[in-house]
Amino acid sequence: MKEDIERIVALYPPERRFALAAMQDMQRQFNYIPAEGLDALSAAMGIPIAQLYSMATFYRALSLKPKGRHIIKICDGTACHISGSEVLAAALHDAIGIRPGEVTEDGAFSLETVNCLGSCAVAPVMLIDDTHFGGVTPDRLAAIIEEVGAK
Amino acid sequence: MRSITITINGIECACRAGDFVKEVALAHGIAIPSLCHHSALPGQACCRLCIVEAGKPGKGKSVVTSCVFPAEAGLEVETDTEKIRRLRTNILELLLDRAPLGGGALAGFASEYGVTDPYTPEHPDEKCILCGLCVKACEKLGNSAISTMMRGIEKKVGTARDLPAEDCIGCAACAKVCPTGKIACTEAGGVRTIWEQEFALLPCPVCGKPHITGREYDWLKARFGADGDAGGTPFDAFDPRICPECRRRTSSAHAGTLPASP
Repeated sequence: MKEDIERIVALYPPERRFALAAMQDMQRQFNYIPAEGLDALSAAMGIPIAQLYSMATFYRALSLKPKGRHIIKICDGTACHISGSEVLAAALHDAIGIRPGEVTEDGAFSLETVNCLGSCAVAPVMLIDDTHFGGVTPDRLAAIIEEVGAK
Repeated sequence: MRSITITINGIECACRAGDFVKEVALAHGIAIPSLCHHSALPGQACCRLCIVEAGKPGKGKSVVTSCVFPAEAGLEVETDTEKIRRLRTNILELLLDRAPLGGGALAGFASEYGVTDPYTPEHPDEKCILCGLCVKACEKLGNSAISTMMRGIEKKVGTARDLPAEDCIGCAACAKVCPTGKIACTEAGGVRTIWEQEFALLPCPVCGKPHITGREYDWLKARFGADGDAGGTPFDAFDPRICPECRRRTSSAHAGTLPASP
C-alpha cells in the first residue's frame, strides 16, 4: 500500500488544486482512502490534514472506510424515487443483506443511493460499477446480482 | 481607491468605493447585528443577520447582506426598518432552532429581538450554527487544525478523525470568535484545555500571569522568527508571551520614547 500511496502522491505537483484528483486515485486504487494516504498527501502538498478530511468527508464519491469490490448505486432521483427505488433498496436488502451505506460481510458489494444518474426515462435505474441497469424490478435483481457477483 | 459618500440611516458616511456596507456603518458608529462576521476575517454572509435595505435613490431598495455588499456612490442604506426587524426575527428563530443552547452573541440578539424558538429543535443540545467563523480564524490566526466535516445534515466543525489535532497550537482563536460559545476552552492551574487537548501556558514575563500556550509560542517563533530572549529583533517589543494588559502598558511607555511628529 505504501508504494501505491507514494506513486499516487508523486503523480501530482505539490499544489492544493491537485488534492482532489489524488484522493480520487486513492479511492480507485484501494476502494477507500487510507489514513496513511491523507497523511502523505498532507505532507507532500502542504495542506493541513483537517482540510483534507473536510474534502474527503464532503464528497460522496470518497470514502474513509473500505467499500465493496462491486459498488451498487441505486438512483433515488425524483423519477426513480416515484418509480420505486425504495422497493429496490428493500429487495436488495433481502437479497444481499445490506442497506445504503453498508458493505456485505464478504466485501463483495457495497450499496449507496445517488441523487440522479441522468437516465430518468428508464427509471428505476441502478448502477453496478460502470454498468447501467434500467427498468429494474425486484424480480430481475437476483439475476443481476448473481451475474455481477460471479465476476 | 475612489472616495465616495453613502447614506446610512440618513447619516452621510464617507468611504471608499467597494468597501463593505457593514464595515462602513461600523466606522461611523452604526452597529449592524451579525454572528458570522469578524472585522479581521473576510465576510461570509452565512448567518444573514446583517441584512439591510439598500438601493440607489428612486430605484427602490432591496434586502442585501451588508457584510459583503459593496458601497457605491449615492447608495442609501436603512439598517433597522420594520421589514428588516421582521426578517431578522425570522432568521433568529431558525438559528435558535438549529442551536437551542447557543449562547454568546446569538443569545444576546435573541433576547434583544425578543425571540424564542417557536419550533421543536432536532438537536436540543446543539450550540453551533455552522457559521464557519472558527474555521476561518484557525486558518488565518492558527494552524488550520479544524475544518467543517461531513455535509448536509451531518455537517459539523471538528478536527481530522475527531481526534486531538497535532496541528492545534491551542491559541483559542476559534473559541474567541465563536458567536455562540460552542467551543469549550477552559484555563486552570496554568493549563488551557481546548479541543480535547491540554496545553501548558507560559507566564507573562512582566506580570507572571499565564498567557500564551507553549505550543503557540514555539509556532510563532518558528513562523516569524520571534525570539523574546535575544535582543535586537523587531519582535522584542512584541514578545507574544506578554499578556494584553502588560502589552498595553509597555506599548504606551514605548510610544512616549518615539520622536515627536514634525
